Amino acid sequence: MKRTILVFSVLLALLMTQQVKAQEKTISGTVTSTGENAMPLPGVNVIVKGTAKGAQTDFDGKYTITASAGDVLEFSYVGLTTISVTVGASDIIDVAMEENLEQLDDVVVTALGIAKSRKSLTYAAQDINADELNKVRQTNPVNSLSGKVSGVVVNRSSSGAGGSVKVTLRGNASLGNNQPLYVIDGVPLSNPTGGQPLDTFGDINGGNRDGGDVLSLINPDDIESLTVLKGASASALYGSAGLNGVILITTKKGRAGSFKVEASSNLLVESAAYYIDLNDEAESNIKDFFNNGVTNINAVSLSGGSEKAQTYFSYSNTFASGILPTNKMSQHTINIRENAQFFDGVLTASANVLASTQTIDNRPVSGLYFNPLVGAYNFDSPGERLSDYENFEELDPDRNIQSQRWFRATSDIEQNPYWILNRNASEDTNRKLLASMNLKFKINDWISVQSRGTYDQTFLNYEKKVHATTEATLAPANGRYIFTEQDIRQLYGDVIATINKQFNTISLSANVGTSTTRTTVELLNADSGTNGGLQFANVFSIQNFNANPQVSLFQSSLDKKVNSIFASATIGFNEKVFVDLTARNDWSSSLPSSNNSYFYPSAGITGILTEIFDMGEKISFAKIRGSYAQVGNDVPANTVFPERQILFGGGLSPLDPVRPLGEVRPEQQSSFEIGTEWRFFDNRFGFDIGYYHTSTVDQYFQVPVSTGTGSVTVGVNSGDIINEGFEASIFVTPVQTGNFKWTSNINFAANDNEVQEISNPSDDVQIDNQVISPPGVNTFASYLVEGGQYGDIYAQVVKRDANGRPVVDAGAIVINDENPDNTIAGLEKVGNANPDFTLGWNNTMTYKNISLDFLIDGKFGGETISMTEAIVEGLSNNTQRETENALIEVVSPTGDVSTLTAQEYYGLAGGRNGFTGEYVYSATNVRLAEIALGYNFQLSENSFFRSIKASLIGNNLFFFYKDAPHDPNVTLSTGNALQGVDVLGLPSTRSWGLNVNLSF
Amino acid sequence: MKNSNIFLSGFVVISLFLSSCAEGLEDLDGNPRNITQEQLEVDFQNVGSLYKPMFENIYQYTPPWSFQLQQNLNADVFSGYMTNPRPFVAGANNTTYNLVSGWNNFIWSVPYSNVMNNAKTIENETRETFPELFAVSQILKVTAMHRVSDVFGPIVYTKFGESATTSEYDSQEEAYNAFFADLEEAIQILSDNIDSPRFAAFDLAYGGNYENWIKYANALRLRLAIRISKVAPTKAQSEGEKSLNHPVGLIEANPDGFFVNGTLDHPVRTINNSWGDIRMNASMESILVGYEDPRVGSYFNTSEVEEGVYKGVRNGLPLLPGYDDELAQKADYVTFSLLADEVLTPRVQLMAAAEVFFLKAEAGLRGWTGAGDVQGNYEQGITTSFQQYGLGGISDYVSNGTRTPMDYVDPVTPGNSINALSTITIAWDDAATNEEKLERIITQKWIALFPEGQEAWSEYRRTGYPKIFPVVSNQSGGVVDTDLQIRRIPFVDSELQTNPDGVADAVTKLGGPDNAGTRLWWDVPGGNF
Repeated sequence: MKRTILVFSVLLALLMTQQVKAQEKTISGTVTSTGENAMPLPGVNVIVKGTAKGAQTDFDGKYTITASAGDVLEFSYVGLTTISVTVGASDIIDVAMEENLEQLDDVVVTALGIAKSRKSLTYAAQDINADELNKVRQTNPVNSLSGKVSGVVVNRSSSGAGGSVKVTLRGNASLGNNQPLYVIDGVPLSNPTGGQPLDTFGDINGGNRDGGDVLSLINPDDIESLTVLKGASASALYGSAGLNGVILITTKKGRAGSFKVEASSNLLVESAAYYIDLNDEAESNIKDFFNNGVTNINAVSLSGGSEKAQTYFSYSNTFASGILPTNKMSQHTINIRENAQFFDGVLTASANVLASTQTIDNRPVSGLYFNPLVGAYNFDSPGERLSDYENFEELDPDRNIQSQRWFRATSDIEQNPYWILNRNASEDTNRKLLASMNLKFKINDWISVQSRGTYDQTFLNYEKKVHATTEATLAPANGRYIFTEQDIRQLYGDVIATINKQFNTISLSANVGTSTTRTTVELLNADSGTNGGLQFANVFSIQNFNANPQVSLFQSSLDKKVNSIFASATIGFNEKVFVDLTARNDWSSSLPSSNNSYFYPSAGITGILTEIFDMGEKISFAKIRGSYAQVGNDVPANTVFPERQILFGGGLSPLDPVRPLGEVRPEQQSSFEIGTEWRFFDNRFGFDIGYYHTSTVDQYFQVPVSTGTGSVTVGVNSGDIINEGFEASIFVTPVQTGNFKWTSNINFAANDNEVQEISNPSDDVQIDNQVISPPGVNTFASYLVEGGQYGDIYAQVVKRDANGRPVVDAGAIVINDENPDNTIAGLEKVGNANPDFTLGWNNTMTYKNISLDFLIDGKFGGETISMTEAIVEGLSNNTQRETENALIEVVSPTGDVSTLTAQEYYGLAGGRNGFTGEYVYSATNVRLAEIALGYNFQLSENSFFRSIKASLIGNNLFFFYKDAPHDPNVTLSTGNALQGVDVLGLPSTRSWGLNVNLSF
Repeated sequence: MKNSNIFLSGFVVISLFLSSCAEGLEDLDGNPRNITQEQLEVDFQNVGSLYKPMFENIYQYTPPWSFQLQQNLNADVFSGYMTNPRPFVAGANNTTYNLVSGWNNFIWSVPYSNVMNNAKTIENETRETFPELFAVSQILKVTAMHRVSDVFGPIVYTKFGESATTSEYDSQEEAYNAFFADLEEAIQILSDNIDSPRFAAFDLAYGGNYENWIKYANALRLRLAIRISKVAPTKAQSEGEKSLNHPVGLIEANPDGFFVNGTLDHPVRTINNSWGDIRMNASMESILVGYEDPRVGSYFNTSEVEEGVYKGVRNGLPLLPGYDDELAQKADYVTFSLLADEVLTPRVQLMAAAEVFFLKAEAGLRGWTGAGDVQGNYEQGITTSFQQYGLGGISDYVSNGTRTPMDYVDPVTPGNSINALSTITIAWDDAATNEEKLERIITQKWIALFPEGQEAWSEYRRTGYPKIFPVVSNQSGGVVDTDLQIRRIPFVDSELQTNPDGVADAVTKLGGPDNAGTRLWWDVPGGNF
């Protein structure tokens, strides 16, 4: 590392000593955009026509070039109309360039915040602006990406407002994290979760809960644009964190010369929409049980400033009540950004502080523990209504305590739902503080150095108060208290030198930099447990814990640092061909010191066909691109030499933790992509189509070994997981008349995953599979199997005779044994949770001041299991088909035919650990995802307001096609587990609302 | 301010940043809230801290759900002691011979993770330096592992920890021979160091008294010798006689029994009292109530279903006709007799003195030297068991020659009612055949062993006594004979997946198919003599 710093410093010094030599006549000036928000334009090409002389504008739109009077200067910039000016007597030529009508050709923010012209990109990148993002407001802005960007698969959590989101770009590859990296204004965002559910039964320590993510803590109104970098070529400069692609968030900044106030208010009403098929009485009980949810989002922002300093300030709040009674969320976000120029623009400093706090009462859980839906769905008491149990407690005179009432004995999984909501209540409190500073020195016209630092703190707190007389499996006689606190801090710093230089017809844009990221996590967990208990009933504090080893008290610390150096160069040949090269080396503290350095390069090339060949008027733009990248990855902290854990009052953890079998190596991903982009008829129609192939090898797997070895699992680097696929986006403006315009976007993506290898043949330990969702005691699991796919789901399947009749022996259904190659521990492969392809169709129509937007979002292929239905049929007769009770033909093992009633058959087949193979559905679905009808009010010239816009919006309104009883776009976990199964998740909702935007 | 100054200050900032960046990466990894080997060595906790988990996981204290899978939903039911009122998995579970492999993994993993592994570490650290600490660890290891072998047959024992990824099984005969050798060595070491106080701080059974440990080791050796008395009578007799004639002797007084004085609740207490997942077995009701045995009140509460009456549940209940689901059926059967708090104290019984007298009675029946009088030992066994619970009326009970196990009536599902399978009485009959004498001895031993179902199930398989009721529903697909009942549990999934070659070899050593109907090595069909 020390040597690299030396090299870097020498390089910087060399660059500095170079000075531009003065020529006879130097012309300088500023290039800006036109319009009310005129901005300096960096990166504009300035050439002296007919010569090889050229220059580029700097960050402030300034340029200098030598020329003689009478020469013609040509200013060109992708997406803007080219301007020619003849040099006269003046040495100063300022130019304002007009934007093209279609803003498709602008600058794209790429890795590390480096702006590049879109045409020079050698990989796929798709962006989406604030208007598009916020047409139909979501509490988590990432939810808005579904269907709008090709290849982005968005699954929202079933945990209601403030819930996390699972985003998958180009398929899953890792046993660890498969989510993309989020980057705010060039700096990686720390996006920890307070945990995600693992198995279908549920977590006895509070239920299967969503720990949330950081994205819901960001005010969508602060976002100017989102750019999705889908593959490793695009994100190679971010290193291992960018392995799964990157979502770049560019936030709003104050602008010189214009003072602006914007306010928006949003009111949405949602209702539970997609249930399993219940009988009339059960359905009416459930409908009574759920509320209408209301979400109210308000935001205000102020921005403005002078040439030297600009300010942006925003505040937003969100108040939501969910469809689940007592579920509430409130959130406040403040964002302040200051930009200032010093010393005639030599130094630009900017600082940003974002603070956000969120409180969620009774965040909905899935699974069987602590889930009010178990009792609500299975309520079956003749002559009574579920609402009769809204009085959920009564005095127990023996204890002088309010005790739970329910129509039958409670069980580990079933309690009075109102009791769970009021007397097993939970509260999540999440806070985010993000403070960053950016200093940029402009050394000369073509070199600048910038340094950034970020302090990023996330604080996640969870509390659950379980009152006495809760079911004994979940809490002892005096109740139970759970308290968890996580403090996650990320310190990031970098220094980057940037060069932008035109050498005759060759343009060079290069960066050299170094960065460091340090992450620390402090965790405190206190849980009086299912046996330890509290001294005094219903007092929820740690000092009330019984002092015995069955309570859980522990702390955990993690500290990790990654140092990096990196360099990139984009070389343009005559604005026709661009070559892009990057290299990065990381040193990670989580790898053994002998093996903690890993290097990875990427290379790409693109050719602008319309510049190289004369392709005629009809083709506005055409290019081809190709790139190859490698990305290395370290292992999680505390993996290589883990120490034994001390159990509170209970000595040591029983076995040594997982230790590596050999020496740990960094993981590697290599990826390759090609694509082409075409636009026709003055950009009325165009498409972008691409193919990619990625291979992820040497993942750090935990491999179970024979218990007779003295270990349970060892760690090895192994495996090869392949993802390949196509992505396409098409845009078209079918109609464009004076008053009416209709634009349409279609986004398509297909990903094919293959688990090429789990064990390398040379490994000391060979395994057949890796567990993604453990089966636990229920009959659902997901495994990675050689030759299979990521997301394969396994269920218990009924044995059937040649006529498809179930085989029943001695009063029990027989498990199918005819597919042993696809069976693991009694569970058979029944499908895959991931779609074969996704298709989004996004439309905007404007007529005068009226606009209509709608998004149709489709996912095709894949399977999903309704364990909810299985559980309801196992625990009650509340489904429609059990109530109808038709006869079902079954056979004995010897072939004797008999009949069972539906109640008998599904009583045997149902249940959490029953024949889940009977509850497999196609996950294919096509829905009207978003609709917005807007009106822009006509304002007089001297109106106080700049603009007023109101829209009626609808979200997740209906399905054109859906097979599963639940909404397959909703997931129980935004981690890797529990994909393709619904276990009493909160029903998906549809919502309607009103949105008002004011600007003045 | 000149530009050069600005650049200079800029470089100062940057160099500061770079120097912090260059700080070492080596020492960051590791969770300082955990404990390092170096920290463990203070107070010799690298050895001392390993015993408590061994004591508390032979019969696992916590979490109770894990014990439920380790023993309560297999041996405790197969032994005729207890029954689950809830027909888990819609009645398709272990107790109806539809074996749930996910459950049975715990029978294997709990002792390996907590006992075998710790014993290996203790062996490495103390064998040469503090042999008496090693000796106690060996006795605990045999205590835990003979139970595992009695469930599966072949186990990983002599070659434990020899390979990094797979492991080789011993046949049950090899394992038993190793148990005898390990006990012999441990007894010798403890005899040589009998006054050493070194173990007192870590001892959850005998407060560091090695004399008691030797008595227990002798008793355990006698138990294992009797177990193999049919299959290897010569070896059995020679090992058994070593114990019977050892100068320190065997456990013969109740305070010397091998109990773990755990720091946690008895696991069955949570399963029984809090969860309502276990109740009295119909066989227990038939024998204890039929004998008017006063121990019934120490073991069980009277039921709710028939006020004032002890009522057990038939084992192997399917999801019975007329019940929609498991919970509805449980709601009816949970009102049968609970286990009494008296047997569910934190003191977990692994070997009571009464058992030793019954072992000696059988040894006498088999003609082993030093066993003593058969009838005397039989009656002393009953007496010791009564005294363990502070009960009177011993002489009336011991001399009763008329009471027999009684017919069982299920008040909820009359179809489950069944007639008693035996007419064996209590009073000793010296004129009876050896087979009848053995039935009498084992029936009384079965009562005295309660609630330790693992030993009771093993002895039931070896001798066929007492005659406990068969399952109501046999869902083994013909693998298990309903009347012969379940003989073992198949090798566990985790081993099949991680160690397939080892398991294949173990199946050869088992000498029959890897299913629940195959007899173990010591389980020889036919008469006991």
